[in-house]
Amino acid sequence: MKKTLTLIKREYLARVRTKGFIIGTLAMPFLVFILIGVQMLTAQMGAREKKTLAVMDLTGRIAPVLQKHMSETYKNSQNEPLYQFEHVAVIPESLASLKARYTRRVQSEKVSALIVLPQDVFDKNAFEVYARNISNMEFNSNLERAVSYVVSGLRLEQSGLDQALVRRLTQRLELRTFKVSEEGTKEESGMVMFGISYAMILILYTALLMYGQFVMRGVYEDKNSRVVEVLLSSVRPDQFMAGKIIGIGGAGLTQFLVWALFVALGSTYGMLMVKQMAPGAESLALPTISFSIYLFFFIFFIFGYFIYATLYAALGSMVNDEADAQSLQWPVTILILMGFLAMFFIINNPNSTLAVVLSLIPFFAPLLMFLRYTVGAAPLYQVLLSIAVMIASIYGLIWLTGRVFRVGILLYGKRATLPEVVKWIKYS
Amino acid sequence: MANAVSLKNVQKSFDEVRAVQNLSMDIPAGEIFGLLGPNGAGKTTTIRMLLHILMPDSGIIEILGDSGSRKITDQVGYLPEERGLFKKMRVIDTIKFFAELKGLSARKAGPLADKWLERVDLQEWRNRRVEELSKGMQQKVQFISTILHQPKLVILDEPFAGLDPVNTGLIKDIMLELVHNGSTIIFSTHLMDQAEKLCDSLCLIHRGQSMLQGKLTDIKARFGRNRCRIRYDGDARFLQDRSLVSRYDDYGQYVEIQPCDHVKPQTILAKAMEQVTVSGFDVTEPSLNEIFITVVKGS
Repeated sequence: MKKTLTLIKREYLARVRTKGFIIGTLAMPFLVFILIGVQMLTAQMGAREKKTLAVMDLTGRIAPVLQKHMSETYKNSQNEPLYQFEHVAVIPESLASLKARYTRRVQSEKVSALIVLPQDVFDKNAFEVYARNISNMEFNSNLERAVSYVVSGLRLEQSGLDQALVRRLTQRLELRTFKVSEEGTKEESGMVMFGISYAMILILYTALLMYGQFVMRGVYEDKNSRVVEVLLSSVRPDQFMAGKIIGIGGAGLTQFLVWALFVALGSTYGMLMVKQMAPGAESLALPTISFSIYLFFFIFFIFGYFIYATLYAALGSMVNDEADAQSLQWPVTILILMGFLAMFFIINNPNSTLAVVLSLIPFFAPLLMFLRYTVGAAPLYQVLLSIAVMIASIYGLIWLTGRVFRVGILLYGKRATLPEVVKWIKYS
Repeated sequence: MANAVSLKNVQKSFDEVRAVQNLSMDIPAGEIFGLLGPNGAGKTTTIRMLLHILMPDSGIIEILGDSGSRKITDQVGYLPEERGLFKKMRVIDTIKFFAELKGLSARKAGPLADKWLERVDLQEWRNRRVEELSKGMQQKVQFISTILHQPKLVILDEPFAGLDPVNTGLIKDIMLELVHNGSTIIFSTHLMDQAEKLCDSLCLIHRGQSMLQGKLTDIKARFGRNRCRIRYDGDARFLQDRSLVSRYDDYGQYVEIQPCDHVKPQTILAKAMEQVTVSGFDVTEPSLNEIFITVVKGS
């Protein structure tokens, strides 16, 4: 036990003391902060920037109503209308030449977009927009919604109904989402919550892959430099393997804790800064991540790490260099990747039988059960069950990979083949 | 004196390759014991079994009175033929790390490490990284790591490989000192003249089997004290005379002759004086080198 601790200490310090580790640990949060800062800045600038829309209304009835509706509905943080209108008087005969002129103005960015409302818009249900950027989803949906609203209002009015009544009857509704969890019910935006789950799973996925490969590389490097031979004259192979896995895992946890600290600081002081810069942002409530999510994040990282690190350690013992490792590690890499990809299915059907089964498989549990928990789909008993399954699997994997490791670690020069490995497991 | 190590009918195979066959060996305590043999003879496999890195298929291995358990690991020091150190680690940390793996506390290991670094003239390199050291210096660091915990059994695989004469002498002195203080050394090498100078007893392994075993003096006696070494000038036709000379090795400076049975060295000398100008004549026992070649080729 004391020897294993000595091995763990060496491995941990060897990782943590490298420049790469220190820079990576400190630079990552700053990179993320800069990224978020740039995003917020551009979002703010984009919001301030007013768009001028040229409107050719061949019906002659839509444009004024549309302008009034849009200036009331869409405002920037200074409470000014987001869209400016330029009405272009047009008759069907002059349409072609005016369109040509205005598309040139769009091209030279004098106006942001040209909107053409054809005469038959009431029957054909279609209108046209000409713009340099037609992928601005926010603008597209705002415009589509506004025009639809105005057109259907005019249609109702035409049928003789009272305009005020029509307004009242066609009032749009706002969707408010409430998250129900053990800690009670809270109002939260579904999109933001998904964003947070997604980010945490992305971190888990990257960390499992990265630290797993660190273990693999660490093993074959020690094997290559022949340090293994000296070590094995003092410690058992399983002590060596444990030292490697726990030492590197400890370095990974250290990195996680530093990042968590940055996130905690960032969400407190970052919000203060945002509120000072943009007074209107007060209403922008950041969803609070409950303590249990943090806790399970660490638990699933640790167990997931042990599952994959044992596999990667066995791989490392079977190979001699990077090239061998590349060609042998794909089955394990695919296991992690499959869990990651299954997440996009699970997020839409987190309670389906398939989702439950997948999230209980130990290789996928670290990503999928955690995901199901964060979106509130996994009851606590399922989470605990998956943890039990993972612990059992780790025992099994240590037994299995330990046998491969013991033989592989002394095999220099050639790469182990699968039949050989099966034989090691059977007979060693 | 009791045996430090004893092997009885030890077997080890890898798939079809029988690396060690029916090997029995007794290594007396407090001696330098030569484990000799050509490449691929099974020396490394034997050493790995002594260290419990490999388990024998059958047979008994007893080390320092203990068979089978790993308890005595801390009393053994091992310098493998292929050196291995953590390249990025500092010299002092490396030595302390290996000592701690042998059960020494960090507090005890520190001063000992400094004492040894001074002894092998590396104290200035104490805080450097291993990768900054020359090959020979790295080897000295590894040697210190092998013996810092004062092991009762030291296994050295080619300890002089790549060392200059000064450092060879230094390591040799430390080896003799260890034996003097009661340790047993297993010295595995290809260099027969080194083995000849240092070993009290030896075992010659070939194709996984013991070919020759015992005290160096006894082995030499078995091969007879009847080798003639002649320094001469001229055309030595008598060397081709199969009734006189059973075989000879020309070393350039001198020729080593094995006379035929019943041929006295004097007869050889008389014949030589007839044909060439003799500048030196010597009757000795066969060199370990010759014994090695005879045994390995003869099998």
